[in-house]
Amino acid sequence: MSTALFVPCFVDQFFPKVAIAALDVLERLGLSVDVPGGAACCGQPPANAGFERFGDAALAQFVRTYARYDTTIILSGSCATHVLSHASSFGADGARVAARAIEFCRFLHDVVGVERVAALRAECAARVAVHIGCHALRGLGLASPSETHVAPFDKVRTLLETVKGMTFAEPSRRDECCGFGGSFSVTEPEMSARMGRDRLRDYRRSGADIIVSTDASCVMHLRGLASRDGRPMPMLHVAEVLASPEAVA
Amino acid sequence: MNARESIMAAIRDAKPADVARPDVRSVVARFPQPANLKETFAGSVALAGARFIEGPRSELPRLIAAAYPDWGRRVSVMEASDAADEERSPHSFADTDVFICEATLAVAENGAVWLPLSRLRHRSAVFLATNVIIVVDRACIVADLHEGYASLDVARDGGVFVAGPSKTADIEQALVIGAHGPTSLTIVLVDGAG
Amino acid sequence: MTASRTLPVVEPTVVDHAAAAARFNANPERVTWHDEALWFVREKRDHAMTDVAEWETLRELASSIKEHTLSRLDEYLLMFESAATANGVVVHWARNAEEHNRIVHRILESHGVRKLVKSKSMLTEECGLNPFLEARGIDVVDTDLGERIVQMRREHPSHIVMPAIHLKKEEIAETFAAQLGTEPGVSDPIALVAAARGHLRERFLAAEAALTGVNFAIAETGGIVVCTNEGNADLGIALAPIHIASMGIEKVIPGTAELAVFLRLLARSGTGQRLTVYTSHIHRPREGQELHIVLVDNGRTTQLGRAGFWRSLKCIRCGACMNTCPVYRRSGGHSYGSTVPGPIGSVLTPGIDLEKYASLPFASTLCGSCSAVCPVKIDLDAQLYRWRQIVADAGHVTAKKRHTVRIGATVLAQPRVFAFLGRATRLALRMLPQSIVAAVAAPWSRDRDVPVPAPQSFRAWYKANRISRRPGGEQ
Repeated sequence: MSTALFVPCFVDQFFPKVAIAALDVLERLGLSVDVPGGAACCGQPPANAGFERFGDAALAQFVRTYARYDTTIILSGSCATHVLSHASSFGADGARVAARAIEFCRFLHDVVGVERVAALRAECAARVAVHIGCHALRGLGLASPSETHVAPFDKVRTLLETVKGMTFAEPSRRDECCGFGGSFSVTEPEMSARMGRDRLRDYRRSGADIIVSTDASCVMHLRGLASRDGRPMPMLHVAEVLASPEAVA
Repeated sequence: MNARESIMAAIRDAKPADVARPDVRSVVARFPQPANLKETFAGSVALAGARFIEGPRSELPRLIAAAYPDWGRRVSVMEASDAADEERSPHSFADTDVFICEATLAVAENGAVWLPLSRLRHRSAVFLATNVIIVVDRACIVADLHEGYASLDVARDGGVFVAGPSKTADIEQALVIGAHGPTSLTIVLVDGAG
Repeated sequence: MTASRTLPVVEPTVVDHAAAAARFNANPERVTWHDEALWFVREKRDHAMTDVAEWETLRELASSIKEHTLSRLDEYLLMFESAATANGVVVHWARNAEEHNRIVHRILESHGVRKLVKSKSMLTEECGLNPFLEARGIDVVDTDLGERIVQMRREHPSHIVMPAIHLKKEEIAETFAAQLGTEPGVSDPIALVAAARGHLRERFLAAEAALTGVNFAIAETGGIVVCTNEGNADLGIALAPIHIASMGIEKVIPGTAELAVFLRLLARSGTGQRLTVYTSHIHRPREGQELHIVLVDNGRTTQLGRAGFWRSLKCIRCGACMNTCPVYRRSGGHSYGSTVPGPIGSVLTPGIDLEKYASLPFASTLCGSCSAVCPVKIDLDAQLYRWRQIVADAGHVTAKKRHTVRIGATVLAQPRVFAFLGRATRLALRMLPQSIVAAVAAPWSRDRDVPVPAPQSFRAWYKANRISRRPGGEQ
């Protein structure tokens, strides 16, 4: 069983600690994980901007790099959604990659299992607002969306409930979008900023000390807004919460 | 080619691959039913902003008089056999304070009652009267709209489902009862032969 | 007082949603008010949904009924026409807005009608019927309270179900004081509705014709179904000697078993009610009345032929997608510049005029909330994504953006180039003064700080700290 970890472009450049933490978590869970250097990007940014064809080269490179692995863990909800939706257009290898790719939190919950994650004995004494990225939520089924009438579940929360000392804040709007949206953040700056600030206000009012997210892209956007407004709020990726303190020091 | 032919040709050209007709009846037959139809109906009527009264049919006049002691003015009562109002124009109900009629079906899930045209010679009365009272027999309550439409022949008995007094929330989402239609609706649930 | 002057609308040649949204956000408190009003409606919808255990089954059923019907649209329309005609209804067909308007006008003209009351019909708004009739001397009164308010103010509706949701009661009070003679400053909704009731009642009683929309057309019986809370459609239908019903061809459904499914979903999705107050079924004209139904294409057959977009025709016009959309709530319906705004508007309008509405598919983060509330399960977010590709292919994206994305994509496809540029960028971010960084990253940095650059990329850390076991020996 060969396993690879895909580290998205912006995580590689701006949030390397998230990837270091993810690697630490997976290795402590007993997995031998490869991080091949062949692909920097899944191709989503240009595709969402309307230029699917420009993103094809990146996705093709992604497929070539990860086709040989039994499982590819993707450290981003939006990247995972893109790969799962579009990789099968790239031949048999693409179909294989799409069938075997899985987002990080879903991998921990569905494949590794909550019991083994609990054995990591992660600790974080804080009141936490859980921010599941929209693609992870509605695209990958990481939790029951507030819009649908299904038996409630929340895989991210279940993972975080294994963390000692962690309590959870309940915002007034459970899963409203933070407003990042890739190129939306620069083509509709007014909307993006307003949505982000509203989310931050909701999290603050809910009494959260920190925001824990499945997506570093959401964090990049919210953190940028919070610090510009002079009201920084600590934000962590799920991987960083579960990792050993030494790994993310 | 006239417009009809042109549109038909465009549809034939454009329509997607055939999708089979779903078997609605067998799917809805599996839906859960409310435990107590009457209670569910009463609750739905209240939610819709209508008043709910019940009692024996034989006491109908007393029930209404007791509920609305001030109503002694012009009232129209529609019965299937009543031909007295045949010559009335639809506009003539403009000053009607209270209009009473009978529904032939009641839907528990949403509090709606069915007024068939055959029993409602002048549709305008239902909408012009300031206050409307609708009588319905308890035996006519069905669980939901699936059951409702299964027991109706709307083509023959074209009519209207009424669920509450007229209302609007168009001004800042503030709910105001009594928009253009009636300002109050009372449902009188009776039992006993009609 | 009549609304006999044409709406002085200046139609933009290209809708710039972002710019319109920025203007809407010039008043942040108002945005909060608008956002909270619409979120409240979304919550009411959620509450109504939780009462229906079989909600998701109903949605799936509604979706497949619509897909089936659209796949046999020609058969169902012919079935409808045949049944309606046998009931004494006159059925007309209109290829486009112009034909629709001419047909309606001809019917009115032939009866010497000068006063028309109209209940809610987004289709007639789409066709620009009011200005067409007014220019020909016919007084048109929109009787849906919200529609009447925007008509009096010479505005377009900003929501398909709640046309005046963008207005405060004080603004409505001002309009009523000026045009209905109500006391200035009285903004209590009860008083305002009472004033409108009296004003419109006169119009209903004096109407020479009534025009309504159609929520559903039942193919098997030839009947139409009209849903209202105010009773305004029924007042028109019950009083006027001529009833004209305008409908888009996609409104037809097979029979009453299917009707029940849609009615259970419609009001709950749109307003959180279990059913609208009035659900009227009209099969034949009243004695002495004429009933005309106008079936309108106006681009629908073209949309039907678009493989990636025909499912947008499943829409039952509930408005739930607008209520849930975080962008719609914060930018308002007018910023979409179209009859139907919000997510559904953004997948319908590019099909009508790609250049004019090019910005609408981008007025979204593709969060997927719209698709999740849609009672007929239209894949709205997927369609928005597909329209983006078509907009970009057609060249309706700025050359600068195209160029930037292309360069970015090229870099992203080549790990070594990416690593090099990434390092260079992080170095620059650390060394350059904040003002220059902000200027270069302008749209981002207007509201947000640029991320603090990490001293080392993950890849660099990995190389330095892990023994690589990469098969094939790359890099």
